[in-house]
Amino acid sequence: MPQLSESDRRSRCFTIGLMIFVLSCLLSSGRLLMHACNVQDPNQVERRSDGRFAALKAALPERGVIGYTGDAGASPGEYYLAQYALAPLVVEYSANHAWVVGNFHAGQLPPQTHDLQVVKDFGDGVILFANRDAR
Amino acid sequence: MVALAAALCLASGFALVSLGWSRRFPLGLDLLFRGALSIGFGLGVFSVVLFLCRVAGITNLMAADLLVFAMLVAALRLRTHRASATAPPASACERAEAWPFWFQRVVTASFAISLFAAVYAALRQAVAHPHGGGWDAFAIWNLHARFLAGPHWRDGFSPRIPWSHPDYPLLLPASVANFWTCLGGDNTAVPEIIGLAFTFTTVGILFAALRILRGRVSAMLGAMTLLATPAFVELGTWQYADVPLSFFLLGAVALLCLHDENSQPATAASSGLLLLAGVAAGFGAWTKNEGVLFLCALIVARQLAFRPIGRKNSATARNISFVRHSAPLLLGIAPLFLLIIYFKHRIAPPGDLFSDAKTMLGKLLQPARYWAVLKAYGKEFLRFGGWLAIPGTLLLAVLYFVAGRGDRHGLNPGSRGSALALILTVGGYFVIYLITPYEIYWHLRFSLGRLFLQLWPSTIFLFFLWLGSDNTLPDSK
Repeated sequence: MPQLSESDRRSRCFTIGLMIFVLSCLLSSGRLLMHACNVQDPNQVERRSDGRFAALKAALPERGVIGYTGDAGASPGEYYLAQYALAPLVVEYSANHAWVVGNFHAGQLPPQTHDLQVVKDFGDGVILFANRDAR
Repeated sequence: MVALAAALCLASGFALVSLGWSRRFPLGLDLLFRGALSIGFGLGVFSVVLFLCRVAGITNLMAADLLVFAMLVAALRLRTHRASATAPPASACERAEAWPFWFQRVVTASFAISLFAAVYAALRQAVAHPHGGGWDAFAIWNLHARFLAGPHWRDGFSPRIPWSHPDYPLLLPASVANFWTCLGGDNTAVPEIIGLAFTFTTVGILFAALRILRGRVSAMLGAMTLLATPAFVELGTWQYADVPLSFFLLGAVALLCLHDENSQPATAASSGLLLLAGVAAGFGAWTKNEGVLFLCALIVARQLAFRPIGRKNSATARNISFVRHSAPLLLGIAPLFLLIIYFKHRIAPPGDLFSDAKTMLGKLLQPARYWAVLKAYGKEFLRFGGWLAIPGTLLLAVLYFVAGRGDRHGLNPGSRGSALALILTVGGYFVIYLITPYEIYWHLRFSLGRLFLQLWPSTIFLFFLWLGSDNTLPDSK
């Protein structure tokens, strides 16, 4: 059996390496396709943000700072979604404002507080409060 | 109106790129490279116009966009009267392919499959997540765009919402806001299309630059590596700013390599690519804070790569070297750097990463933090990108070893300077993690993969530039 020269051996190694490389790229492209075909919960931002706060946004002034309150222990993401929906209003995570947005899970009663009076319940857990003691 | 705005954006980018374009390449490649760059540069111009209009209180944005375009065209006409493009580099486009024919066919077919998979996946993701696929898209970038699109844009930099990172640069949100203002309201199609555009123009630049410098097979292998990186395609369509940043970093690196590959005595024409590389690096810094780090690393690395050695290291030699290799780059960077300084000092609140010197020094003296960052770097090196079975970084490392003796002198000083800039940037990230005010494991977990991804297209480009150079490619028969 003829002996392979050093150059041939290197060339063969390199070609095999490249073929493994190409195959791995194809496998990862397959993974990308699989992910794309199994999209979880499409367009959830629209439902949890713009869609949910549209009526409240229409009732609020165009500019200013309002407060925010929500479920205890809720993900900060719920608050970010509220700010995203209500921009260009600035929504601060504090009840110490004249107007306060309440963001609760639907069907869950908001906590009773002395400071906040319900101005309007927009449904789906979105409530506008007034805080007369705000400084 | 939206078609006019899109045409203006693209035309402004094309005019800006053409201002510095000093080489001629085959028509298709020339159009691909210039076209891909033009989209990113056009969005950069749009973002700057919007920001300056907001600061100056100008409300007619379309007129401002038109005026800037007219100024770019006037500058272009002035330039074409004074300088003509140089001939194409002899070795570049016409280099004979050393790869076996069967292998070229396999790579072509695989590239086509990867491209189709990436386009299909990107479109599916974009349609499924019109507001972006993760928190950063709506909690940072599109939120900023919503503020910038209105007359009360300064409210978006309120310290009452520090979690939205109001100190982040504005290229992405301001370009989106420019389109929204022209449209008269926000429309999710705009950030979706911009996300898709940055994703695939990055691939376009990678392909075109490698095709010009190393040939068709290297170009397809490089582009396929990026297309097959699931996290890259997903983050791009999720409307994160990491992919636009990677676009500008790759643009800067590729332009520098194109300039340096056939280095000729400094002329106004040959300095054009350096100038464009500076603009690309500047736009990168205007996209994300990490871009500022890369920009500084690039300047330092280039000085080191081109420093005169031995007896030539006189003051005169250093000055000549600086003028030839760095002055046009700095000239391209300067306007955007000044803009960023203005934004950081006059508009944005202080950033969240730097605390007082004593606290940072205390963190720098804790060995446990070094170990934590090192471990995360090691893990993420093998994990980032979301590859199936074998990580992309490992694949490149294996190819490096099987390719031969690892003769890195195949890269010219400019390319070595770009590689050094990437290494310095990774080192800079390391230091930032050491001093981070956040819980270190949390910070590493949620950002390191994306930071690596920002440098990934440039790394792939430099790798295949090295791999495809004549003195490292084994004889393939």
